[in-house]
Amino acid sequence: MPTKNQSNTYDEIIFSTFFKGHIKALRNFLFYKFGNLDHAEDVAQEAFVKLWQNCSSVPLEKAKSYVYTIANNSSLNKIAHQKVVLKYEKNFKGLDKTNESPEYLLEEKQFQAKLLKAIENLNEKQRVAFLMHRIDEKKYSEIAIELNISVKAVEKRIHLALLSLRKEIDL
Amino acid sequence: MKKDRLLAKWLNNDLSKDELAEFETSPDFEKYQRIKNYTAHLTIDDLDENAMLSNILKQKKVAGKVISFDKKWMLRIAAVLVLALGITFALQFFTPETQTAGFGEKTTCTLPDNSEVVLNSGSEIKYKKWNWNNDRKLELKGEAYFRVSKGKRFEVHTQLGKVTVLGTQFDVKARNKRFDVVCYEGRVKVNYKHTQIVLTHGQSVSFENEKQVNINVNSLKPEWIDNEISFHQENIRSILDEVERQYNITIELNTKDTTSLFTGKLPSKDLVVALQIISTTYNLKAKKVSRNKIIFDEK
Repeated sequence: MPTKNQSNTYDEIIFSTFFKGHIKALRNFLFYKFGNLDHAEDVAQEAFVKLWQNCSSVPLEKAKSYVYTIANNSSLNKIAHQKVVLKYEKNFKGLDKTNESPEYLLEEKQFQAKLLKAIENLNEKQRVAFLMHRIDEKKYSEIAIELNISVKAVEKRIHLALLSLRKEIDL
Repeated sequence: MKKDRLLAKWLNNDLSKDELAEFETSPDFEKYQRIKNYTAHLTIDDLDENAMLSNILKQKKVAGKVISFDKKWMLRIAAVLVLALGITFALQFFTPETQTAGFGEKTTCTLPDNSEVVLNSGSEIKYKKWNWNNDRKLELKGEAYFRVSKGKRFEVHTQLGKVTVLGTQFDVKARNKRFDVVCYEGRVKVNYKHTQIVLTHGQSVSFENEKQVNINVNSLKPEWIDNEISFHQENIRSILDEVERQYNITIELNTKDTTSLFTGKLPSKDLVVALQIISTTYNLKAKKVSRNKIIFDEK
């Protein structure tokens, strides 16, 4: 059956492109929300499996909200919340790369640890919005669509996130 | 600028020059700047996208496209069947129902609410089954006798006028220019052009060329049901028209006197007697020229 095979490979090409464009952001989004990276990957994969199995009935422009909805629904109930453990890029040592005095290095290390801790302690909504902007470099308008809220609401969440990060570091 | 979104605007580099200058003077600016710089270098473990993708594409083969394909076809077939059934059902409901009685015959039919209609020869009714109980409306050409079940307003529309009732027995006749309504039981409202009158049992009304005639009736149902034709002050042409319909024949009239009116009954199953009565009344001679044609000549 040549026609079936043809449409099969055609589907595969479209799906693969879409998958590569969105899988990481979806996985990260789930990770910010629930803290468990393995679980985030499982749920993200599950969502894309469903999309693949139903790709004949899901139009491409709806595909994004389709996977986000499935991912949200399937993870809401079963996940016991864990801390969101982040890390810095491998070669990131701080901003002043020339200063290697022990005092500076110690202070630098302390600040980095404090910041990660503060992010872990953010409330879920603020953390998700904040990290989508900082790590995935998404625009506020994109975040608004994915979280199904207004841009103003995104901005409020990020404002509050920054406010509480600064306060926690000050302590 | 709303204060509760200021930090977000700044983080996204959305502040104007002035706003930015003002914010930079705040004591916490350095700290925010540091948070902004450091969080730009956050990262998460990389993801083996290709492994996951091939995993997902494999899933499809296990889940079986064939099944989903079949299911799709089953769904399509089911949808077509449902649609076809729906259309048939709708057509039956929405297309007007027509009942006719040809020349020389009478038809009895029952409406959806069990009301009964007896159609006299050469008559026709048209009605819609859809929503009949709430909208009892039918069109009549010719003459019919109605036994209406109790219920909402029941309307009979003819080219000449309208009869409205609530559950009763009555006869409506709309032929040529003459409109007759006889009420045998209950109450009937008759509209003819701009006149409206109400009949109770035993009353009847006739309109002919704007002229109204009220008559009292003694019988309990129309005479034509019992194979008699009853006339009240009708001219010879309309009498012959009725005879033509009842016996399914054509009658030719060769006389100048067509204005004298006739009141009485004619049998509708015995042509010889009927012709005799007409001949004596009007002083005519009947001649049968073929099986279906009669000629009346002056004596």
